[in-house]
Amino acid sequence: MVSHLNAVPSSTLVKLDPSQVAHTLSELLSQTPEYRAYLDALNALNNDPVIQRLSAEMRSHQIALQWGRDTDSRHVSEQTRLELEMDDHPVMKAYRQAEEAVSVMFRAVDELISSEIGVAFAVNAQHSNCSCGG
Amino acid sequence: MELTAEIQTAARQLGQSLRQDDYIRTYLDVLEESRTNPEARALEKKMYDEYKALIDRQQTSETLTPEDTRSFYELHQQVQNHPLLSKRNDMLQMARPYLAAIAEEISLVLGVDYVALAKPR
Repeated sequence: MVSHLNAVPSSTLVKLDPSQVAHTLSELLSQTPEYRAYLDALNALNNDPVIQRLSAEMRSHQIALQWGRDTDSRHVSEQTRLELEMDDHPVMKAYRQAEEAVSVMFRAVDELISSEIGVAFAVNAQHSNCSCGG
Repeated sequence: MELTAEIQTAARQLGQSLRQDDYIRTYLDVLEESRTNPEARALEKKMYDEYKALIDRQQTSETLTPEDTRSFYELHQQVQNHPLLSKRNDMLQMARPYLAAIAEEISLVLGVDYVALAKPR
């Protein structure tokens, strides 16, 4: 665990370096069970032969769809079937569960960051060309 | 979700450090000004009310006329052109790359897309 955090009370007015604090926060997050479980699940997903086969098949149907080669809707129905098969695979189910857990944790962290800034952090940190404000 | 005390402290400190940035401070000042300016507030409220009314009508399967949407877009344009609201939006746009750079630093350490996972659903 990173120990120097306690040296700086959260109410202090000392100018903190955002990069350094972001790095510290990231290190702390990387030590959580949720994050580690997520990486494990992601690794399992990327190395699962069934998932790899299904992904490859889905890509080929996707390409056919992009080229407009689906006059009899075969590619759409195959794509749907493969998606369902993939969603039903235990490795995918474990991944989704781990993803949800890490996402819940990140959202809780983001709420804290945002409430201190006074601006929604993650929402405004995403790259966008939108000039809609908000 | 129960976060450890260390994570909570680090998250709060990150928020505080970002709040010290000049662009963000200016944005927050203009945001406050826009919230307390009656004209800006009324104009924006009118636009959101109109938007909600259009969505409500659409959800009841009503077909919207070009006149309906034109009136909304005119209002939207007025909001975009309002000096205070425009300044607020511009300041946020200027602050966003800075927020994105910090989020990218988090993603880099973690090796996963922080923004994608932390965005409200």
